[in-house]
Amino acid sequence: MWEQLQLFLIFLKASALAVGGLASLPLLRADLVPHYVTDAGIVQALAIGRLAPGPNGLFIVSLGYLVAGWTGALYALIGASLAPLAIVPATALARRWLLSAWFGGVVRGVSLATAGLLLATGVTIVAAGGTELWQLALVVVTVAVTVRGKLHPATMIVVGGAVGLAWGR
Amino acid sequence: MPIVKSPPSSRALARAWFDIGTQSVGGGTSTLFMIRRVLVERLGWITLREFTEAWALSQLSPGIHLVALAGLLGRRIAGLRGVIVSVAGMMVPAAIITAVATAFLGEIAEHPLTIAALAGIGPVAGGMTIGLALTLARPVLQRGRWAAVDVALIAATFGILLGGVAQTIVVIFAAGAFGAAVLGRGRPTSSDASMG
Repeated sequence: MWEQLQLFLIFLKASALAVGGLASLPLLRADLVPHYVTDAGIVQALAIGRLAPGPNGLFIVSLGYLVAGWTGALYALIGASLAPLAIVPATALARRWLLSAWFGGVVRGVSLATAGLLLATGVTIVAAGGTELWQLALVVVTVAVTVRGKLHPATMIVVGGAVGLAWGR
Repeated sequence: MPIVKSPPSSRALARAWFDIGTQSVGGGTSTLFMIRRVLVERLGWITLREFTEAWALSQLSPGIHLVALAGLLGRRIAGLRGVIVSVAGMMVPAAIITAVATAFLGEIAEHPLTIAALAGIGPVAGGMTIGLALTLARPVLQRGRWAAVDVALIAATFGILLGGVAQTIVVIFAAGAFGAAVLGRGRPTSSDASMG
């Protein structure tokens, strides 16, 4: 029972302290790897999050499933659905406060920290997955495509899978 | 001027968000586009102005911004009932598909072909994460003399996490406090946190 609650709190906390759906990744990785899931599991969850319908942030549900089956998926879904809704009462009660320079600074600070944390997490995922030349080439192409933002996000997952089938055996 | 009209039934509302949640692959802008097309253009439950305002506020939310947007629009359409139906309508079907896909991948995970494909998907997942970090950092370019402070903060959090100096959660709280004390004086931009 205690462990179940702890697991739920990991997902709730990661969603509550991140600005943006994928921004919860560094927090989740810190709490879940290696005790609950491996970096290979993180890669699977990120890929499914991109390929499946709905927000990208739903990779958290895939991660929840890998950690504890349907129960884990449910915890992740509840955590990811509840945390963002804090904005609903906040806009009703403290709208002016939300639009203040002070709060803008908080969001900005957390966003910049998230950029650094995601950068480090990305490097760790790359290192864990293998650093052969063709894999590093895929990293470079994906970074460029993601920053440009023109191609559909799921495309690179398919490309990566195809390249892996060709070179990865 | 707001037009007084009766809110749609829970069934109709759930149906609209079900369409949005299941027909937009990859999240982010494609989901945003669907929300606008369904709620503003097709059903007319939300004005374009309300949509734009809710979007801006949703960018300040913790976690998945699209959930915050669904909650804000849901409240506008049908109050508390609208919040619950909208978020559940968007999230539950998509979450079930996600979990089923994960279970299916688990079944074939040990197959040599799957392992080979994942050897290529790993670098892509890593590259997407790095690319997203760079996208988040991009507003730095418009910050003039504040850019150095921003870059220092990004570099510090990067080094702290890779070096294992402090816990991730401590870094986030510290950055929020630093932002409140220092960065709030710079010009805030709504594009700071524009990710799904």
